Amino acid sequence: MIVLARRLVQLVAVVLAATFLTFTAMNTLGDPLFNVVGFVAAVDCDAVEAGEIEDISGQGGTSLGDCAVVAEAREEFHLNEPLPIRYGRWVGDLIRGDFGTSFKNRMPVSTVLADRLPKSLLLMGMAEVFAVALSVPWALAAAYRANRAMDRASTIGAFGMLALPNFALGVILFYFFVVKWQIFPSRFEDDNLAVRLKSLVLPALTLGMPLAATYFRLLRTDLITTLQEDFVVMAKAKGLSNRWIMFRHALRPSMFSLVTVFGLNTAALIGGALIVEQIFSIPGLGRALVEASIRDDYPVVLGATVVIATGFVAINFAVDLVYSYLDPRVRRES
Amino acid sequence: MPDNVANSPLLEVDDLRTTFTIPTGDVKAVRGVSFTLDRGRTLGIVGESGSGKTVLARSIMRLNLGTNVTTTGTAAFDGNDVLTRSPSEMRQLWGSEMAMVFQDPMTSLNPLVRVQRQVTEHLCRHLNLNRSEARQAAVDLLREVRIPDPDTRLRSFPHELSGGMRQRVCIAVALACEPSLLFADEPTTALDVTVQHQILNLLSREQADREMAMVLVTHDLGVVAGRTDDTMVMYAGTVAEYAPTVSLFADMRHPYSEALMRSIPLTSFPSHTRLAAITGRPPDLIDPPTGCAFSPRCPYVQDHCVNEAPPLVEIDDPAHRLACWTPVGSPEALTAFEKNLAAGLPQAVAVDVSTTWSPTGGVDG
Repeated sequence: MIVLARRLVQLVAVVLAATFLTFTAMNTLGDPLFNVVGFVAAVDCDAVEAGEIEDISGQGGTSLGDCAVVAEAREEFHLNEPLPIRYGRWVGDLIRGDFGTSFKNRMPVSTVLADRLPKSLLLMGMAEVFAVALSVPWALAAAYRANRAMDRASTIGAFGMLALPNFALGVILFYFFVVKWQIFPSRFEDDNLAVRLKSLVLPALTLGMPLAATYFRLLRTDLITTLQEDFVVMAKAKGLSNRWIMFRHALRPSMFSLVTVFGLNTAALIGGALIVEQIFSIPGLGRALVEASIRDDYPVVLGATVVIATGFVAINFAVDLVYSYLDPRVRRES
Repeated sequence: MPDNVANSPLLEVDDLRTTFTIPTGDVKAVRGVSFTLDRGRTLGIVGESGSGKTVLARSIMRLNLGTNVTTTGTAAFDGNDVLTRSPSEMRQLWGSEMAMVFQDPMTSLNPLVRVQRQVTEHLCRHLNLNRSEARQAAVDLLREVRIPDPDTRLRSFPHELSGGMRQRVCIAVALACEPSLLFADEPTTALDVTVQHQILNLLSREQADREMAMVLVTHDLGVVAGRTDDTMVMYAGTVAEYAPTVSLFADMRHPYSEALMRSIPLTSFPSHTRLAAITGRPPDLIDPPTGCAFSPRCPYVQDHCVNEAPPLVEIDDPAHRLACWTPVGSPEALTAFEKNLAAGLPQAVAVDVSTTWSPTGGVDG
């Protein structure tokens, strides 16, 4: 229970820190009103009112009427208040479950997130499933015969997969499987789960293959270290089969770096798959974040930040739980 | 074990040589060792670190892992050479016929696996026991190695046990399938002195009860004394002296055996007695000396020793074999010692200043 409470405090701290930085940056670097009222947002209405700037209404230019719109919008979004108060107001809304509304189309941010997040999570999950399913057997096979031909070839292959950038791999897969052989759809289809999964196969592969290469390298190295341990010699001296020794004795003690990096990568994938989402036209969180950032649509950006920060903390908590499952020595007396 | 082979030796090792190939050369860790071990008998292998005793034991068990190891010679177990067996044939032998207790119980148990699985996993394999039978067998085994409350201990992880307990678990693992040959590779080196004695007694008792042959590897002559039938003193990968333990202690002939004996502190020594350590270091096994490997550290060294390695030959008592040109107590040894002392050879001087020992009479007191 104490552990859980400590995690909750950590979650709150991380979310506050991340959103405060985002909030400040978004408000300092751009003008959010631009997307609400258009170019007039940039006009200095005080100067127009004072007659210092010519009122060019009727010619598609600025008018006092437009200035009224700007003032109204300012009022609506509380933009005339100081930054800390506005941040405080935003946090208050968040606690009540209100993420605010997007500047773009006045859609509630929660609706945007509810629409985008599941797709990103599905993509993330598939990518990690592919990565683990590929890397674990691969590393076991390579470490079992370390420094032999298969291991050496694997190392070269892994470096190749790591060196190939996401967008290149994505485009190559897209060309062959979508354009040339037309096995997979060219854009995300949302009819049912099977269709969704099918349209995510290629993007998940694109994300998963470099991950698999990373996991392979980590697990192979750790396995080779573990296989030098005394308890492996002892397991051998008991007459156990090599397969049993690999799976039941060597694998678990070798998984710590893999689990750590797995957690970090998974958390990074929640909103970080934007290039792949772009190539395969998936309306995921990453793309929403990019579009919102460009438009200074900070309610959406902040909403996404909350989701990503929460995901990060939650996944790292899960990783710690996995550690204690893996190693009884880190288990706390509960 | 079948009765028809009962009169042939259980283990017959002939000219065993083990070499590790490393970037700087070939490390000749074992350089031609031969011995036989009968059923139910015990052999102590004694030597300092790097003398090849552990490598010898692991070579016979075929447990030198890695691709850079070559072992030649023969090691016949029950009449069949172990060194030519296939990996799957070895797996039949490991655990069920030959077992090993390792040096460090802190690292030889898998820290992430409960004791129960570590004790039972090979039982299921070798003896075809089901889960509950294997569990019962594990409880009995733990009880036999004097672990209190075996039911609780089976659910423990190794880190929840003390060093002595862990070594008892390792012994239980080794004994589980009733092997006919047990290697105990420095089983007490990593343990507290108070626990060492208990573990050695446990091993001796189990060995006697099960009529199991045992090879006890140690760097401590005191460990083999009174516990083994025969003792083999190894130096630099070769056998220096091999004798029934009783006659070895009665009549230690190799200068190295004598030096090991001399370096054991005795409670009868007056306080602040300078311990007679062996001067120098073991030889480089990549390029071992042509003569006697001990000659650079031997107080009785003469020119002949440096030029030609002494063969292992039987001396007066036919069971006592020795590889030395100037056996302890021989007139040649005395002459050589006085000459070396006069010449100021450090190893002779070191022996001379040690007040606890004299070159003619062994350890005083």
